[in-house]
Amino acid sequence: MKIMQKLSESILDKLSIDFLRNQGLKNAYGNDDTVIASLDSRILILWYLFFGVVPWFVNDIPFLLGCFLLVAITTKLARVAGLVLGLFLLGVFTQTGYLLIVTLLFGGDETAIAPLLVLTLKVATVSLASITVFSGLDPDHLANGLMWYGCPEKLSFSISYAYRMLPLLMEEFQSVLLSYRLRGNPPAHDTFLGKIRYLIYQIRVIIHSFYPLMLNTAKRSRTTVEVLEIKGYRYAAVNKEVKKVKLSTMKVTNNDGMFLALSFLWVAVTILISTLV
Amino acid sequence: METLKAQTATQPQKLMIFVLTMALYGLATLFTELIPSFQVGIVEFSVEYFLFIPLSLAMLFDPMSAALGAATGELVFSEIMLGQFGGLGEVEKFVTVTIGVYIAGRMVRDPRNRRMVAMAAIGGVIIQQFLGMVVDILKVQFAIQDFEAVAGLPESVYATEGFAFLNDVLFSGILFCMLPTMFLVPKLYGKIEPLLGMQPRNEKTYLGSIGWKVIIGSLAAFLLAIGAEFLAENGTALIDWEADWAGSSTALAIGMVVAGVIAVIVVWVLRTRSAKNVEKSA
Repeated sequence: MKIMQKLSESILDKLSIDFLRNQGLKNAYGNDDTVIASLDSRILILWYLFFGVVPWFVNDIPFLLGCFLLVAITTKLARVAGLVLGLFLLGVFTQTGYLLIVTLLFGGDETAIAPLLVLTLKVATVSLASITVFSGLDPDHLANGLMWYGCPEKLSFSISYAYRMLPLLMEEFQSVLLSYRLRGNPPAHDTFLGKIRYLIYQIRVIIHSFYPLMLNTAKRSRTTVEVLEIKGYRYAAVNKEVKKVKLSTMKVTNNDGMFLALSFLWVAVTILISTLV
Repeated sequence: METLKAQTATQPQKLMIFVLTMALYGLATLFTELIPSFQVGIVEFSVEYFLFIPLSLAMLFDPMSAALGAATGELVFSEIMLGQFGGLGEVEKFVTVTIGVYIAGRMVRDPRNRRMVAMAAIGGVIIQQFLGMVVDILKVQFAIQDFEAVAGLPESVYATEGFAFLNDVLFSGILFCMLPTMFLVPKLYGKIEPLLGMQPRNEKTYLGSIGWKVIIGSLAAFLLAIGAEFLAENGTALIDWEADWAGSSTALAIGMVVAGVIAVIVVWVLRTRSAKNVEKSA
């Protein structure tokens, strides 16, 4: 009973939209002045390709530990928002902790822990690398970097659009939700059954509020696309000249070289250690 | 005669549908990332995803644009914005969401028919979850060395994944996909289409029959998923081989460290020099 109460409270706490919006915005625009954010996005994407892919295929524990430490340091340098790190911890624990419990249930013993530890290290390294790059970078830089590598224009447009529209959308969703709550009559929630009914009521209100939101967003996306058409977006997206102008601000500096060189040195040292062990 | 043509959208309208689905589904997935799941007995209650949004839109508009928009929205809003981008895993999610939503959207001939809508919605969820389950099992087998050697691990993976599949279809699928879609699609029908300057879908403007086109589409999708898996497998062998080769030689590792030190020194010298140049010119 106590646990149920705590759970429904924590769910309602988490549902505070202001909290979400603040964390999202902080994550997107709150850390422009970090070491990571000042690096060139193309270099960081290249860096990510190494630390996001290679750990999956290596089973050497010293090497994995070394990579994990490095990405942990870069995550610290990127000053990532607390919410994101919390989600990361939750994700890593649920993915491997759950598997461990079930493995023990099916008659596995301590020998199952070592491979699971390797799996945890891999998952943690890969996700921290992605947190460093995708939340440490300014969305516009990220979109430009992806475009330079020849990603579809639609993707980089989506990233820029998403970061700009999200606060607006959240505000609108909140006001629709609040108006539903004002007019609604929530069931009493002091008994256990009432709590469940209350939770169902909340979820129903969320689903119902998507109806006006869908209509409003439909109107807004029509306006967006019409404006884009006026500016010749569909032709600009495939035009090489336009792309050149757009990407002309990107510049690889000595700092980027330093970052790559230090990462390379670190990896080389971990490989050396793993051969000595 | 215009109205008798199949329901196609012009390029700007496709972009509108894409933007609409992306923004709405992205917002919804952002919430689901943050709502914790809790367990009662062995049944896990989690708001797995708000798939009803792209499902409804795919049934009302051009299914392909809606499907791509949904997959992109999830990728951009909940993965990239929250820094949860998982590299290889995201490709699989992108493909499965696109396939599930597209097929569900193609299945509906008349959006006012609630039974048809419900069947298509649950069908889309089953396809998406099944593909996801297959890929998940294969992924764990790749990541853990000597997968079969660990006692109890293979069975536990099959059991957890199979159970998660059933749980997602029966719980999230019915509660969060089928019922909301049944409620929203007939309600939105005829109201949301004019906002994008389009004709509502009906029996005559319906995009092709359920028959062979959808079957070929799903087959191609399966091939795509399997092809991606094979690609990953080949990649494993290649990189493993390189890593073994690098790991076997201490001398080579020492060489790499020396190269790394030299690289750091060279960059350091270049940096101080360029700093001096800036001072001189200033």
